[in-house]
Amino acid sequence: MIETVELTKNFKEVTAVEDLTMTIKDGEVFGFIGPNGAGKTTTVRMLCCLISPSRGSAFVNGMDIAHPNDRIKIRGIIGLLPETPGLYESLSAQRNLDFFAQLYGLSSTVRDRRIKELLTTLDVWDRRNDPVAKFSKGMKQKIAIARALVHEPEILFLDEPTSGLDPQASLTVRNYLLDLKKEGRTIFLNTHNLDEAEKLCDKIGVIQRNLLALGSPEELSSKFWGKATVIEARSLTPEMVRAVESIPSVRRVDLAEGKLLVELDRPDLNNPLIVRTLVERGAEIEYVSELKHGLEDIYLKLIGGPR
Amino acid sequence: MRLDKVWIVARKDMSEFKTNKYIVFSLVLMPLVMSFVLPIAYLVPITMLTGDNSNVPLDLHINITSRFEGLNVENVSVSNASFVKSNLTNVVAQSCIFENCTLTDVLARDSVLLNTTIDRSYVIRSNIEASPRTDSTLSGCVIIGETSRTVNMLKTFIDSLLMFFILVPVMIPTIIASYSFVGEKLNKSLEPLLATPTTDMELLAGKSLSIFIPSMAAAWISLVPFVVLVDLIAGPVLGYYPLPNIIWVVGSFILAPLFCLLSISTNVLVSSRVNDVRASQQIGSLIVLPLVVFFVITIAGLITLDLFYMSVFVMLIAIVDAAVVYLSLKVFRREEILIRWK
Ligand SMILES: Nc1ncnc2c1ncn2[C@@H]1O[C@H](COP(=O)(O)OP(=O)(O)O)[C@@H](O)[C@H]1O
Ligand SMILES: [Mg+2]
Repeated sequence: MIETVELTKNFKEVTAVEDLTMTIKDGEVFGFIGPNGAGKTTTVRMLCCLISPSRGSAFVNGMDIAHPNDRIKIRGIIGLLPETPGLYESLSAQRNLDFFAQLYGLSSTVRDRRIKELLTTLDVWDRRNDPVAKFSKGMKQKIAIARALVHEPEILFLDEPTSGLDPQASLTVRNYLLDLKKEGRTIFLNTHNLDEAEKLCDKIGVIQRNLLALGSPEELSSKFWGKATVIEARSLTPEMVRAVESIPSVRRVDLAEGKLLVELDRPDLNNPLIVRTLVERGAEIEYVSELKHGLEDIYLKLIGGPR
Repeated sequence: MRLDKVWIVARKDMSEFKTNKYIVFSLVLMPLVMSFVLPIAYLVPITMLTGDNSNVPLDLHINITSRFEGLNVENVSVSNASFVKSNLTNVVAQSCIFENCTLTDVLARDSVLLNTTIDRSYVIRSNIEASPRTDSTLSGCVIIGETSRTVNMLKTFIDSLLMFFILVPVMIPTIIASYSFVGEKLNKSLEPLLATPTTDMELLAGKSLSIFIPSMAAAWISLVPFVVLVDLIAGPVLGYYPLPNIIWVVGSFILAPLFCLLSISTNVLVSSRVNDVRASQQIGSLIVLPLVVFFVITIAGLITLDLFYMSVFVMLIAIVDAAVVYLSLKVFRREEILIRWK
């Protein structure tokens, strides 16, 4: 579990992160989204006890990131994939992982078993003795993720794991992350790939220096747009629109391109009434569906449109 | 500080160095230059200058046929004569013995000179003992009971070669550290390392140790052939084996490690500010300056390199070491590295 309370980081005159208060539960995959320079990396570095906050506090599995003894313990139970893989290029994949496993204090039998497990899953076991310099970008990223996982961390921090990878490599990495999610690991995922966040995350935080929104994708959607029903029908008239508008729980109705967009409370109770109202007035209903706002809509609404 | 973690870091770094051809090259080349090129290039010419300086008297086979005492001899040529308490001027002497005499403008050959003042003279292939010389030239002579100026110079010179020896553990760290610290910074491989449960000090100690071990190993290994060669070259001239001596023991086992540490820590400081391996090597190599200054002072004869000055030098460098190590510890902190190392 990660808890932050008014977590703030200033770099001289720049405030990178301000008053970040949030909670991430065990087993959750948390997507931290925001544009470049929003403060995602800075937040992760604070939570991994690499840099200290200017103000506020944070607890990782109950341990205080400001407490010197806790800091080293926190680093022992987290795994970090930084923005750049930063592998030792001249050393083999195996040696890279073994070095980190040693630093986490794993015995040599555990290390060998764990490294074999990871490299096999990632499909690079055959090339374990090749220097990492010979690997493709995607393979390097996989080794770097394996490095973050070698000690079975309780919490995994991934800082933009697929940025800079070609579509195929990103897909490999993303599929691997899906597997990790199934294992029930707590994952803190920095990304500006909304599709990725939508597919992987249980909870989303939108940041631009301040935390702009926090919740599951559905929660965010209904929070910003309320519930809405889309009705596609032939021969819709303005009169029908007015009739629907007069239904008490309906807040707003829009007619465009043969589609009626109805914002309302409790669609489950009110949709039959709306449909009946329309049918009574001669509308021929084709589809009735729930309006869903994708993460992209949410993001653009919060951060602003195309720049 | 947990030593096992320090050692894990050091071992990893050393296995990386093994794959770097510049590092391997310098680890091999520097000691080779030190142990073979240096003694041969510097000592052989000097020993040739001093000539045959063994203190074994020449076997001259002098048959004395006439003896003189208390005489003033001028403008003559003499041979197979023995002179005691005499003054000889403008004389050519062959196979003579001079005792308590004064020789002025004399050409002496195959002779023995004892307690004799030699002025404006030329002495060839003779045994000379306790005889002060002014404006005179000796050739092929054996001087008994007195070390010549060139022999003294040879001794000073052997001690001053210590500077070149210490250059090995100073220059090698400059090369390794530039790859180890600047390279790791450029490769961005420090951040994942910083995210492990290690302390800043363990990481710095491990990385420093990984540089210290190969540097000092190269230096100390090169010491063996160096000592043997110096003894072989200078031994016959000096009449004894000059190495190892106390100056060299202090120099190679106390001063050299201190300089090595100084070089490593200085390079940590430089690496934090520099983003280029070569720039780091260039700035880092300025560390040799205090070493050069100290030994230029000794070669110039301003001080004699003895145990006292060596101790003073050791203490000075130890103090500078403490200061630079302290600074490098301040620079090598997670927060510093991630935020300010540019
Ligand atoms: N070392 C630093 N010194 C000064 N400013 C920094 C430093 N690191 C990050 N920043 C600033 O903090 C802000 C957040 O950066 P970052 O956390 O890297 O954003 P993100 O990871 O979301 O792209 C940016 O404005 C960036 O310029
Ligand atoms: Mg970032």
